[in-house]
Amino acid sequence: MILGIETSCDETAAALVTDSGEVRASVIASQAELHARYGGVVPEIASRRHLELVGPVAREALAAAGASLEDVDAIAVTQGPGLVGALLVGVSAAKALAWSRKLPLVPVDHLDGHIASLYLDATPIEPPFVCLLASGGHTQLRAVRGRGSSELLGTTLDDAAGEAFDKGARLLGLGYPGGASIDRLAQEGDPTAFAFPVAKLAGLDFSFSGLKTALLYAVKRLEEAELDARRADLAASYQHAIVTALSRRVADAARKTGLDRVAVVGGVAANSGLRESLPDAVFAPLAYCTDNAAMIASAARFVEPLPYPRYLDLDVYASRR
Amino acid sequence: MLTLAFDTATAVAASALVDDGEVLGERFSRAVTLLEDIDALLRQAGAHPSDLDRLAVGIGPGSFTGTRIGLAVARGLALARDLPAAGVSTLAALAAGADRAAPVIDARRGEVFVAGPFAMKPDALPFEPGTTCVGDGALLYRDLLEASGLVVPPDEDERHRVRARFHALLAREFGPADEIQPLYVRAPDAEQMKA
Ligand SMILES: [Zn+2]
Repeated sequence: MILGIETSCDETAAALVTDSGEVRASVIASQAELHARYGGVVPEIASRRHLELVGPVAREALAAAGASLEDVDAIAVTQGPGLVGALLVGVSAAKALAWSRKLPLVPVDHLDGHIASLYLDATPIEPPFVCLLASGGHTQLRAVRGRGSSELLGTTLDDAAGEAFDKGARLLGLGYPGGASIDRLAQEGDPTAFAFPVAKLAGLDFSFSGLKTALLYAVKRLEEAELDARRADLAASYQHAIVTALSRRVADAARKTGLDRVAVVGGVAANSGLRESLPDAVFAPLAYCTDNAAMIASAARFVEPLPYPRYLDLDVYASRR
Repeated sequence: MLTLAFDTATAVAASALVDDGEVLGERFSRAVTLLEDIDALLRQAGAHPSDLDRLAVGIGPGSFTGTRIGLAVARGLALARDLPAAGVSTLAALAAGADRAAPVIDARRGEVFVAGPFAMKPDALPFEPGTTCVGDGALLYRDLLEASGLVVPPDEDERHRVRARFHALLAREFGPADEIQPLYVRAPDAEQMKA
């Protein structure tokens, strides 16, 4: 069994996953409420919270699985990309755990982790496929040719899709995280009420900064009372524009690579509009869309583990090398 | 009683293995390689992680990230081997190793941490003239401190270094490692902006 630890952003998570990809326990302590009043993740606050939670969350995962460290064969931990101070909490604790019991340590790339959420028990999809990874920190298209190997096709040139949702929610006076609050309000609105732009870029890259600006001006043009009446239409139209940008690119990627199957992972995979617009795609289960440690332990199954003592000087990285 | 002690709150990570007051080994490196030191300390002593009885860990004040690395390591070790742990102020450990001189730790942003603990400007420390000041903050602001009549030993004086043997010596109440909190002294940036 693999014990996974994830502390790259604002969720402190631990999980126990078997070699065959069965999730025995997955514990996620979200800090969303802590960061809500700032409208985004404050790195120092996140790191402080990770330190408070990393021990209890790991203990809770072991208890939930009815397991002890005797049952654990390897420790997996997110090495990057993410917030350096936050990653260091997880990596330091994981190194200490592995060292104490002379276990191998598996450093996992967070983005590989998201893709590996598709190889857990509940989600049967096998490579090759095109993968859309959309979250608050990342928006990427990858050609996944094998478990544990993928090739970058396109990425965002400015904001991540989840960030675009967060910024849009702030402009509309909605709560954080923005994806969920816009999605909720969009149910009551008309997605065609406002024609927001969808960036047209060469290749398979994304851009959401123009869309955010368009929303800003649409909000500014409306009187207070009018804005209240049209908020749902704005949310629906804004979501529609993000979803259109994502699903068009997915279709482009499928055409260019000749891969006919599509999977969607990351926090934005929970968005109902995106699920509707990609009816044939495989979506990561809701429990494994937002950051979690089950996906990290899952990815560790396809990475060469570092045996003791090769991980004792392991460091983290902020962005993918 | 085999105690593993370490402190990563300042730029130099210190560690020591102490058996009933006898220092079996002491090492210095950086926070990210702390476990290499710990591994070496135990190997030199012919000990296994399961031989450890307890942990003494520095809680700062100092670098936020550095302090957290030491505490995260303590949490991992405690979880793996069910070890009790005690937190020790980095300022207290410095003072214990310097005949109770005044410890002065670099707090960045033009400030230092002193006993209290407080974050202060180095040109307005509340010490009697003639007081000996030790620590990386004393070295960094030597000119300012000496100008206010304080004494700073030469750069190479080992009293400036945090030494983990003193954490083992000072550690008193051992309990769950998860409950040991860092001495941040300062609020996070976003909190400061709101204030
Ligand atoms: Zn993520």
